[in-house]
Amino acid sequence: MANSRYDLVVIGSGPGGYVAAIRASQLKMKVAVVERDRPGGVCLNWGCIPSKALLNSAETMETVRGAAKEHGIEVGEVRFDFQKVIARSRATADKLSRGVRFLLKKNNIDLYEANAAVAGPNTVALQAVEGKPAPAAQALEAERILVASGSSEKLFPGMRLGDGVMTSKEALVHDTLPASVAIIGAGAIGLEFGYFYQAFGAKVTIIELEKQMLPGFDAEVAEELRRAFVKRGVTVMLGHGYKSMARHDGTWAVTVDAAGTEKTVEAEAVLVAVGRAPLSSELGLEAAGVELERGGFVKVDDSFRTTCPSIYAIGDVIRPPLLAHKASAEGIAAVEIMAGVREPGFDLLSIAGCIYCEPEVATVGLSEAEARSRGIDVKIGKIPFRAIGKAVAIGHPDGFVKLVVSKEYSEVIGCQIIGNHATDLISEVVLGKTLETTTAELGRTVHPHPTMSEAIMEAALAAEGEAINY
Amino acid sequence: MSNEILMPKLSDTMEEGKIIRWLKHPGDTIHRGEPIAEVETDKADMVLESFDDGVLDQIKLKEGESAPVGAVIAMMRAGGETGKPAAQAEAATQEPKPKAAERKSEPIPIRPKAKPEAPKAPAPPPPSADLSAESGEQIHPAMSSRRSAAPTAIPMPPRVSAVASAPVEVSADGHKFKASPLARRAAEEAGIDLESVHGTGPEGRITKRDVDNFLREQQLFRFRRIVSPREGAPGSHEELSKMRKTIANRMATSKREIPHFYVTVEIDMAEAVKLKTSLSEAELVEEDVTYNDIIVKAVALALGRYPRINASFENDGITIHPNINIGVAVAVEDGLVVPVIRQCEQLSLIEIAQIAHRLVAKAGRGGFTSDELSGATFTISNMGMLGIEHFAAVIVPPQAAILAASAIKDRPVVRNGVLAVGKTMMATLSCDHRIIDGVVAGRFLQEFKRFLENPASLLL
Repeated sequence: MANSRYDLVVIGSGPGGYVAAIRASQLKMKVAVVERDRPGGVCLNWGCIPSKALLNSAETMETVRGAAKEHGIEVGEVRFDFQKVIARSRATADKLSRGVRFLLKKNNIDLYEANAAVAGPNTVALQAVEGKPAPAAQALEAERILVASGSSEKLFPGMRLGDGVMTSKEALVHDTLPASVAIIGAGAIGLEFGYFYQAFGAKVTIIELEKQMLPGFDAEVAEELRRAFVKRGVTVMLGHGYKSMARHDGTWAVTVDAAGTEKTVEAEAVLVAVGRAPLSSELGLEAAGVELERGGFVKVDDSFRTTCPSIYAIGDVIRPPLLAHKASAEGIAAVEIMAGVREPGFDLLSIAGCIYCEPEVATVGLSEAEARSRGIDVKIGKIPFRAIGKAVAIGHPDGFVKLVVSKEYSEVIGCQIIGNHATDLISEVVLGKTLETTTAELGRTVHPHPTMSEAIMEAALAAEGEAINY
Repeated sequence: MSNEILMPKLSDTMEEGKIIRWLKHPGDTIHRGEPIAEVETDKADMVLESFDDGVLDQIKLKEGESAPVGAVIAMMRAGGETGKPAAQAEAATQEPKPKAAERKSEPIPIRPKAKPEAPKAPAPPPPSADLSAESGEQIHPAMSSRRSAAPTAIPMPPRVSAVASAPVEVSADGHKFKASPLARRAAEEAGIDLESVHGTGPEGRITKRDVDNFLREQQLFRFRRIVSPREGAPGSHEELSKMRKTIANRMATSKREIPHFYVTVEIDMAEAVKLKTSLSEAELVEEDVTYNDIIVKAVALALGRYPRINASFENDGITIHPNINIGVAVAVEDGLVVPVIRQCEQLSLIEIAQIAHRLVAKAGRGGFTSDELSGATFTISNMGMLGIEHFAAVIVPPQAAILAASAIKDRPVVRNGVLAVGKTMMATLSCDHRIIDGVVAGRFLQEFKRFLENPASLLL
């Protein structure tokens, strides 16, 4: 393999690392990427992509099983092969992982499949990964190091995986459908798997410590989503904290606690979806002078530089939200700042958050409550999808678009959407925020009819008290 | 209608001011809050802002001339004129006769004003259909005349705005720039010209943040702009400003009369850095504590233990001062001011931060009281923000010493026998050998170092 001196060595080939590496290569840096698992990171192999494949299967199932009747379409007995559902998801991940490998090669980036450790401000030591050949070099010299090591699933202390106890990673390859699933955590991952298992007929119970689903999200959105889940037959237990679990007769008894009252949830499988933790402890960062913050996140400045000047970090390992597209954007920003082609700084408020259950949820910027708590005077433009012709025609009249607008300049400072294809609709508002749009532009941009996107135009008008169709 | 613009009293002790530079010229449209001239006072150079909207009519005090506070330095014409394009207005004001007609005290004009002149006036940049066709974007005339000539350029209340407001505008000199709708709106409401705002978005697009930064620089941190050393034309001779004269005299006296000696120590700032970070992260106090504040506090504590450093050589005797009044040198254009934090021995770190920030802000705005600029018993000169490795300062007579603090830098340090990357700062004490001997200077610096390396003591 080539000379082991590089302008940039990227640790991790997830959506943060591989994208940063490609951008760095475009900017004429000599780049290496170190990956201990498979190229593409969690997103491609154990997260976004395979889970979206499963959710697509769930949606198809729902359409065939439920909605077909409404359309006057009759189907016979619906059967499914759960192993094939899982296999299809794995095949999707494999295909895209090969794609990342190809992209790195195409951009002349050296990929080292090894465990990485920071051995000094400019040195990355490589160690063979069990079951893989020894890396082509023992250490890489780097003018700069970019830590893009990502995050891993959190567990409760003392909890052990196996026998039907899973995190999202195990669930993605668990190819027998459990009859019943207890899901701890009503965040994005818990809700997506809840929707998935429910669609295939499992009895699903979602347990959440906070008083609403999607803690931190807009309360109206969370409530709309809760109703949709309950309507589907999911048991939703809000304000219930996990206490302990015990196994008897092949099932798990999960003890939960609500204000001192204990309850037990019986389930064949338990999915733990209580968040993710940054992978910062195994890299030897602190010895190189890289400081960590509370929660183990790597501390960085406006330029993504850690407290060691030659070491940078991006993505899940530096701060929430733990999202693939945030990591990619930070990776590009970090590399461009290094190359001097971009000013320091990064706007986290223009990062959309998406949840891909049905109905989908997508948000960007501040919610109404967040804006008010920051002392911003806001006006709200809210349009239910039942006022939008397309939503009614395609049989998805549930949900709404809520636009949070500053009173001062009519600036669009946030948007929450719940409904069919919400995650595809949000990008318009993200673009609007990036361009610093006001309701004047958003409300007067002529949206094609009939589309779901008309709801955004109407919401912009509604914020000014000028909605036409509502 | 004409209004008089008077020489303002920009500080408590100011009696007269000198015009350094006019930033606006006769015929220029002026908005409330816009800088119109730079004025030199006894303490600092300041920017004079307009208190009103209007058009600058006549300049009565030329650049380089002085006038007492309250004297008329310029005349301004109010509102009514804004209806016509600025270019036209400008042309009109360059004609002495028609302009005079607008002043009430003048006799009725012999010939009709402005109108016959209008055709001669340089035409405002055409709406240039060719340009817009070329770029596919709508282009407006010069920004300076935008408000009157192109009312659709900025989205006003949403319902009346033209949504397709130009993403690219052309300034008077044909320079193209882009701005976001929000930036346009914020600039319009603040009454500033986007043309003067530096854009940091993609391809130099002006964003709301750029407008905010511009406003902040204009209003709060004007001294930053002024801080940049005044440029001297090569080969020119420049008369000494009042401030330069004072600095020249005192520093020459100091070096002539005071036998200086210098002691330097390297201080491990790792803990102090952590203290500063945790104070700002905890958000328990409103004030952002700076390294300078931490250094002031450590100096105050060390001086408390070594009062001989807090002394003066006066009347062939040594006065040990009862209070610790620390002067902090702050750069302004063409010199520096040294605001004083009094009775530091009684102040907590947070109180020092509060006072220091108020004083530093004043260095830009002016308005120091004489108390705030005199009575220092010890001075700190901090060049940390300039990344300076190490320097020595000249003692301010009659003080006994001055501390030069340099930048906190990553340097190799040995901790428990292991080489590591540490954050250290060089501090140099310049001492008056008539008062202080090497041992006292060294001990004082050791004490100062001990406080900074164990900064919990600074919070007690």
